[in-house]
Amino acid sequence: MEQALLQEQDLWRAGASVFAAEEYEKYRQSRSQALKLFEQEELKVGLFRNYEKVRLEFIRVLAEGERIRQLIEDRKASLTGEIKARRNDLYSRYEILNTLSLELSQRTLSRKQLAQADVLFKEIDRFLERADYEQARSRLNSAESLINQAESILRQQLERYMSQEEIARWRRMAERAVEKSKSGDQPVILVSKLERKLTVYKGGTVLRTYEVGLGFNGLSDKLHAGDNATPEGEYRVIKKVSPSKFGKALLINYPNEEDLRKFNEARKKGYLTPASRIGGLIEIHGGGKDGLTQGCVALDDTEMEELFRMIAVGTPVTIVGTTDPNNKIIAILRREKK
Amino acid sequence: MKNLMKLSILGLLVVFLFSSCAKQPTQQIDEAKAAIDAVVQAGGNIYAKEELKKLNDDLQAAMDEVNTQSKKLFKKYGKAKEMLAKVKTDAEAVNALIPARKEEAKNAALTAQTEARAALDEAKALLEKAPKGKGTKADIEAMKADLAGLETMLTEVQAAIDSEDYFGARDKALSIKDKAAAISEQINAAIAKVKR
Repeated sequence: MEQALLQEQDLWRAGASVFAAEEYEKYRQSRSQALKLFEQEELKVGLFRNYEKVRLEFIRVLAEGERIRQLIEDRKASLTGEIKARRNDLYSRYEILNTLSLELSQRTLSRKQLAQADVLFKEIDRFLERADYEQARSRLNSAESLINQAESILRQQLERYMSQEEIARWRRMAERAVEKSKSGDQPVILVSKLERKLTVYKGGTVLRTYEVGLGFNGLSDKLHAGDNATPEGEYRVIKKVSPSKFGKALLINYPNEEDLRKFNEARKKGYLTPASRIGGLIEIHGGGKDGLTQGCVALDDTEMEELFRMIAVGTPVTIVGTTDPNNKIIAILRREKK
Repeated sequence: MKNLMKLSILGLLVVFLFSSCAKQPTQQIDEAKAAIDAVVQAGGNIYAKEELKKLNDDLQAAMDEVNTQSKKLFKKYGKAKEMLAKVKTDAEAVNALIPARKEEAKNAALTAQTEARAALDEAKALLEKAPKGKGTKADIEAMKADLAGLETMLTEVQAAIDSEDYFGARDKALSIKDKAAAISEQINAAIAKVKR
């Protein structure tokens, strides 16, 4: 009888009223019946008392309690498994997006959402430890929403890098640049934004390659002043500036005709305010490849010195998103789809 | 014959007296239930779970006793009344425990909030000190954005405290503290990388 009393408390503590409500209620009723039986026997005169039936009833109750304990454990394990599986799936997505976000030149993209999601993962683990599945689920939903937001922000920025059409267009631009380097004596500059790479071609072959930094919003194509995007297109060096604000610099002819056409079209369609200006003063300059610029291409100072010496006014400069049809964004997002 | 009639009437009278005079202890039942309701209102479901369960079990036992007696010809509600009175007294005692427990939970939440704030401030200070040179600038921008995300979450801790969700507030604050500490570690690693 004592055991049955303790067992009921243990079952309740284990969450019987939540995880096996119906069974627990029946168990409590059986336990009450057994207690009543005991009380009835107690009322009888000593000689007529027979506790065998009571004993058997309590044995049955205890066995039922054991069954419920197992049931609770099974249900908890199943719930933990289900929540953990969802948590781990979400965490894999988080890790992929986190890697992607840190890979980009604009590393601020979606960081807030990802940092907050990470805090929620820590909270989920605490709730799972305490078997508080309701709270764990609620935090999972919040984490999923943040991860979706982060993905949406990254996708908006990166969709172009997943488009085979766009990549083919960039490749054609890059091929034209290499072709140009074959004819004549002067080198040609090709900047690939996703790979953060500046390559100098001469005579159709690679002369030098440098790592570069881009704008705060560098992976986007520049449309107007202040968007912090690095322009894409076929330009040329129009001025060598020394000293400039960032060491030595090569000023390019942004905006070119194509940039003006895109800007005017965007304004006509109402994408830009009447006060918007197209901007200018886009340079390849020093100051450090790790810097985030307002749209310029930045190199480490020593490498800029070298490039500055190599390049003359009039040198063609082609800036593309990427030329790699299997670039890292596609690879990472492909992993995510799995 | 006359005597038999008298005896029967007397017998019926006695039966009537025994069965109708022992009325159900409705007032005690109401009082015990009200005392338990007060415990729930005070946050017993959060701060005195086990005690509240025992109170409900005891109330159920008392109600079972009332039911048993109500089916008897000679009703005796004395034991039920005692049980109900004990439930009421116990409920009042539990109710008295809750403010201290609530205060304890509040203090734990406030301590965790302070710790999270300190961890966040430490990470921010480290970030300010971090050499913004080769190899770190972009990382620093990313970490700044991470810390801004945590700053927003810290306001959620205050909101949870304001709505008296002290356990939730504590969990969130501790998780923020852990994340801020992890960012501090990253900053230190970045600093060490530059120093090398």
